[in-house]
Formats: sequence, structure tokens, C-alpha cells
Amino acid sequence: MSLAKPMMRGLLAKRLRFHLPIAFGLAFVAAVAFKYTVTEPRKRAYADFYKQYDAVKEFNAMREAGVFQSVRPSGE
Amino acid sequence: MAHPSQLGFQDAASPVMEELLHFHDHALMIVFLISTLVLYIIVAMVTTKLTNKFILDSQEIEIIWTLLPAIILILIALPSLRILYLMDEINDPHLTIKAMGHQWYWSYEYTDYEDLGFDSYMVPTQDLTPGQFRLLETDHRMVIPVESPIRVLVSAEDVLHSWAVPSLGVKMDAVPGRLNQTAFITSRPGVFYGQCSEICGANHSFMPIVVEAVPLEHFENWSFIMLQDA
Repeated sequence: MSLAKPMMRGLLAKRLRFHLPIAFGLAFVAAVAFKYTVTEPRKRAYADFYKQYDAVKEFNAMREAGVFQSVRPSGE
Repeated sequence: MAHPSQLGFQDAASPVMEELLHFHDHALMIVFLISTLVLYIIVAMVTTKLTNKFILDSQEIEIIWTLLPAIILILIALPSLRILYLMDEINDPHLTIKAMGHQWYWSYEYTDYEDLGFDSYMVPTQDLTPGQFRLLETDHRMVIPVESPIRVLVSAEDVLHSWAVPSLGVKMDAVPGRLNQTAFITSRPGVFYGQCSEICGANHSFMPIVVEAVPLEHFENWSFIMLQDA
């Protein structure tokens, strides 16, 4: 009784066929995850901040808090 | 200003800094993509029992690992060049201020209309009032009108300095005998801090920059008062 001949060729190619798609897939997932957890929320945060931003109101609030050196609070 | 244990950039207070933030996010996304790929491949390479004693060649993989990096570099270069040219656009400044670096303080000159000039020294730690920031506050701030294009001409009187305000996305070397120009617009009123960014001697860390952006009317009142006090 003889044993089946073991596979002796194409071992690296087989390993690459298995691992490379996973490697590229994971890399792509990492990039997409970063884009949708960091990049897009930051863009939205800046857009939302300035959409409702009232510069005069914010300036007056900062002025009354005494933040500025050139403009004192209105009571002073 | 930065807060303790901060890793990322300060919140942008100018449109250019916002663009720089978004570009950094884009570039970092590509960095994570490449790093994940490389890390996975390294782990796969160290966990195999396969060995190969013969040199291999493969046209296909050579083409892939030439084209892919070239594409990635183009994806980085295009937004980078866009911002580079955006920063250099002629923006018709409403005001020009000269920032001169000295050992170890900055002086500002507003000479568009009258001759206004003053020095800006750091407030020593023992003289801080509650709420002020250590090593960042100055006795006289550079006051500018908000949402107006400002041109800053930067130079130095002695050694190299550098005028930098991170939240405005501005940094310009102060070189003695040379006049460097930079420009910015503040998107919102507020106080923005920076520090000298070129080693200039013993007190290099103790010559900060403070930019105060206020509405035009208040800027005019301030400059009138400063001229009278001068």
C-alpha cells in the first residue's frame, strides 16, 4: 500500500492566495473605519459649528467673561 | 491653546487651518491603510514554516508594487498641492502688521495709517492672574479685526526666531535682514496662542505670541487708545 504523494509545489502561492486578500481587505477596512469614525465626523463637526455660529453673541459672551485685553466687560 | 495630553492639532480658527486638518486626516488614513497592510504581511512572514532557497522573480508583483505606491502618492500629492496653492492666493489684506523677533520678545508695528508699535513680553509665572495660561500670556497682545485678511511681515532684529500660531495654521521664520510674508483670516473672534518656533537662546521658550481677534469697531477703539498711550 503506498501513501498519496504530498503536495510539494505551489505552497507559497497557496499561502499568498489565502493571506493577501485578507491583508488588503483589512487595510481597506482600517482606512474606511478611520474615514467614517474620524475624518467625516470632523468635517461635519466644523460644518455644524459654523452653521449655527453667531459671532456677535460669542464675542459678547467672551467679552463679559473678561477674555479680551483690548475690550473690557461692558460694566468696566 | 493646547490642552493637557492633547495628541492632535488645536481647533482651527482659520479656513486654511481647517483645510490642513482635513488634509492631515486624509494622509493619516492612507498611513493607517499602508501600516495595516505591512503589519499583516510581517506577521504572515514570521509565522510561516515555508522557506525558499531560490531567488524568484515575478513581473506581476513588481508591477503591482510599483503602480500601487505611485497611485497612493498621487492621491496624497493632489490635495497637498491644492492646499499649497490655496495658502499662496492673493487675498488683498485689509491690514499689514510687522512682527519683529527679538531676544526674547516680539514687537508689533501697525504702520498702515498711523505709527503704532509696541513690545510683547511674556507675563512671568509669578505675575499671572487666575485664569491666565502659564508661559503663554503676554503683556500686550497683537489685536486684529476678526474675519479680515491680515498680512504679517515677519523679521528679526538679532537671531533667528519664528512666528507661529497653530490654531491659525501660520508659521513663518523671522530671519534678520529678511522680510517674510504670511497671511491669514480668523474665522471667529477669540484669543489664539503661539510660541516662538526657532531656537533663539536661553529664553526661546518664553517669548509667546498672542493674537486677539475682535470686531472691527473694537479694534479701532483699541488702536486709538494704544496710539494715545504711546
